[in-house]
Amino acid sequence: MTQPARVLAADVPSPASARPAMERIAAELGRAVEGKEAQARLVTTCLVSGGHLLLEDVPGVGKTTLAEALARACGLSFARVQFTADLMPADILGAQVFHAQTATFQFRPGPLFRQLVLADELNRAPPRTQSALLEAMAQGQVSLDGSTHALPAPFTVVATQNPVDFSGTYPLPDSQLDRFMVRLSLGHPAADVEARLLATRGRAPPLDAVKGVSSPEELAALRALSAEQRLDASVAEYVVRLARATREHGDIERGASTRAVLALGAAARTQALWEARDFVTPGDVRAVLVPCWAHRVLLRSAVQGVAARDEAAHLLEELVRKVPAPR
Amino acid sequence: MTRGSKLRLVLRDVASGCAFASMAVSGQLPLWTLGLYVFSLVAALLGKRLFARRAKLTALLLLGVAAVLAVNVTAGSLNLVVAACAFAGLISAHRLLSAPDPATDGQVHLSGLLMVAGGAALSGELVYGLFLVAFSVMSSVSLALGVVESAVPEGEPIPVRQVLRPLSTGVSFAVAGAVAFFILFPRLNWNMTGPRASPGIGPATTGFSNTVRLGGTGTIKDNPRVVLRATLNPDPGVDALGAYWVGRTYDIFDGLEWTNAGGVRKEREPLLTLRPGGDNLVHQRVELLPAYGGRTLIALETPSRLGNAVANTSTGGRRTFLQELSGGEARFLEPGLSYSYEAYSLPPGGSGDRFRKLPTVEQDALLALPENIDPRVAQTAARVLNGEREPMAAAQKLAAWLQRELSYTLEQAGERDDPLADFLFERKAGHCEHFATALTLMLRTQGIRARLATGFFGGERVNEGYILRAGDAHAWTHVLVPERGFVTVDATPPANRPGQGSKWLQRLLGLYEAIESRWRNSVVDYSFRDQVDVARALVRPPQGSEKNERSQLPPARAWGAALVVGMLVYAGWRLAERLSGRPRPLEATRFVDAVEAVLASAGIVRGDDETLEELHARMSSDGHALAPALAPITRRYLEARFGGRPLRQGEADTLLRALKSAVSDFVRMEAQLRARADAPRARAS
Repeated sequence: MTQPARVLAADVPSPASARPAMERIAAELGRAVEGKEAQARLVTTCLVSGGHLLLEDVPGVGKTTLAEALARACGLSFARVQFTADLMPADILGAQVFHAQTATFQFRPGPLFRQLVLADELNRAPPRTQSALLEAMAQGQVSLDGSTHALPAPFTVVATQNPVDFSGTYPLPDSQLDRFMVRLSLGHPAADVEARLLATRGRAPPLDAVKGVSSPEELAALRALSAEQRLDASVAEYVVRLARATREHGDIERGASTRAVLALGAAARTQALWEARDFVTPGDVRAVLVPCWAHRVLLRSAVQGVAARDEAAHLLEELVRKVPAPR
Repeated sequence: MTRGSKLRLVLRDVASGCAFASMAVSGQLPLWTLGLYVFSLVAALLGKRLFARRAKLTALLLLGVAAVLAVNVTAGSLNLVVAACAFAGLISAHRLLSAPDPATDGQVHLSGLLMVAGGAALSGELVYGLFLVAFSVMSSVSLALGVVESAVPEGEPIPVRQVLRPLSTGVSFAVAGAVAFFILFPRLNWNMTGPRASPGIGPATTGFSNTVRLGGTGTIKDNPRVVLRATLNPDPGVDALGAYWVGRTYDIFDGLEWTNAGGVRKEREPLLTLRPGGDNLVHQRVELLPAYGGRTLIALETPSRLGNAVANTSTGGRRTFLQELSGGEARFLEPGLSYSYEAYSLPPGGSGDRFRKLPTVEQDALLALPENIDPRVAQTAARVLNGEREPMAAAQKLAAWLQRELSYTLEQAGERDDPLADFLFERKAGHCEHFATALTLMLRTQGIRARLATGFFGGERVNEGYILRAGDAHAWTHVLVPERGFVTVDATPPANRPGQGSKWLQRLLGLYEAIESRWRNSVVDYSFRDQVDVARALVRPPQGSEKNERSQLPPARAWGAALVVGMLVYAGWRLAERLSGRPRPLEATRFVDAVEAVLASAGIVRGDDETLEELHARMSSDGHALAPALAPITRRYLEARFGGRPLRQGEADTLLRALKSAVSDFVRMEAQLRARADAPRARAS
């Protein structure tokens, strides 16, 4: 594995130079998960926006590979936690361990203390464990036995869940779903990609092809740049109008929250970087609206799983057409 | 605090000040409330919100103030309406000194509204109207700024251009509302409304005392305040009337002071008949203004009948009785701040008054001389008259001598033992009272009956009537002529009879008086019948015999001038806006409208929910020939609209020209392709 290039924050001073940096990351992801350029771009957007990512798909489409490739491309420390029904909070957070020699307790950090954590099959863990992850995602810290421990920066959680098989799971509460900036499905690869995989997979694991093209420092610089993007008052108002439209929609039980509004703003700011702009347009907002909000709105209909996901996305697309963008 | 909110607060505070001033001009608020309010306003404008931390505690102060006002009202020293107005002002003062938050803002504006309502109840003067308009404008601008500030996220610039139009509409409504309020309020015949009840600027100045002390108090000759307003019928129609308006006469002179021999003649009369009338009486509708400050009725010489008197007080106008005193003085029985009445006078030049009517004591008084009169007075009179015994001729001869030999001065001589001898033989200078006294006494030494008359001389044309100023106060002599009665002879040099105030001050006050008079005539005293007449004239223009009369509408050149002024103001506004260099996001929107119109000419139509950005993306993915031409336009539009980099001067035109040329090329190419496709193809045979 090649060492990630050390890139300083000063190297990413403008939207024009940010775009190639983001393209490099997305390109590396594309090497690991072939034929999913759009998704790779969205994952990069989520990472640069400082959000957490929820991958929702059937097993075996490359969710784990994608997460690991992301860590490798950006030079982030990585841990994978398989969430199971018997997983306790201490298993991910860490524990106080008694040292007989010094007669003191010492904190031994758990797998959460990495820059990129893959929470595989998150919905299989009991709610207590899910809640422990919640604090880590929201505040970048963990609390244990009355003391608080800061998580490394940047800290990103990539969680996965299977949208079909819900038996024996603890569905994520809305408050936790709301903490993921983007929900994404990879879907099965195209036939030709699958054929090529079959032909080449025997030779080398796909992750070996992923190179370190960025660094935590560059990521921090990109995040700072994204946060500085200009958001015109009319665009901000547009985002709020969209949120209100979801809240007032007859088929939607609960519309977009204020956190959802902020997340959409952040994602749209990064989306503008892809166009090498230093300001956000209504088009940027529209581009990231569905992946940002489809998992946050609660529908009135009883459908679940993939159908609910598709219906929410459909409703949001319809709203985008109805709510006029500022001119 | 941002700059915007500072401006908003200053506007709010000044608006409150205007509202308070609208009550204060009535001159009825207690002085201490004025002081407290002014202190609060100044502190607020300096940004010192002294009560910000102790809002509840300091509210107790208001309770104390309320108690003091209540005691005043109970004791009868303060009108309830005045007390309520003063309290509203102090509530506003308390709010001005509290922390500026939305609740306080609302309370300041609301108390301001209460204060202007109070101001209307207390004064309703023209000055009040100006404060009302100022309050309306500033308050509405402050409110509008508050709305805009709360809507715009912190740190974002206020969209001035978008706000300007609704703001100006709002201000126009506010001004229109204020004017309507101002015009309508006096028409509501509320008992507490006293439109003529305030003394206006400063205290009242004149008024007639029971005595006239020669060489005593200071002069009022240069005071330009209007004390009387009258309309005459028949109207002589001259600019300067030059008439004698008599108030009262005096017959006893003790060497220092003039007094009257008689006492009260008639008590409580609704209508006073002083002399027999005639067919050719001059009718006067007179208004004594608060600046007059007395209770003596004034009428043109020689008054015959006085009546229909109304006294205006702070609680409204009501009919009052008159009282006749000796010296021909008619006086209002009830005190008021101003009065209105009607008077009839005999035409000038001999009244037909019969002195037989006078009681004996008053007849005798007409020849009385002070005990210690300087013998030189009689000697001089005899020498000047040189045997002339006819009263009128003698009076004129003496008056001519006085005017020739003595000079007029407004400088006071100070207290003298014998002011008359001092005037005639030492200083040889004095004012109207000296001249009139000298003439009267010189006549009496020669056995001719005469008395001193005081009142006003002059009459300045304003609109349809005449006004008299405090500086027009005057004294002259009444000579008793057999078969004619008392005839006026004025010994004061003619040039010094009218008021001699500062010209520019007179002009300024004249302007104010003219506006106020017009307002009174067309608003306060404008009857319902007058309004119906105007409405009727508007609906159906007068025809027939009135055809030749000139139109009441402004001439065409007035409309033209108004149009030119309007255009100049608009051009100036646009220029100022351009110079201010503010970002103009809406220009980008106009630009994109123009771009879409050009694209539509090539058959490219944007979808209902599609932005220009998305339209360009769609055209690019379709490989449309115009996509490359649209790329720079889309980029510039987005930058101008959302990126804070507005289009430069003429840039929109340049971009549009380029697009138009690309579109026309495209249309031509399309036409050629279509023509080629439609052309009959040669077939191989």
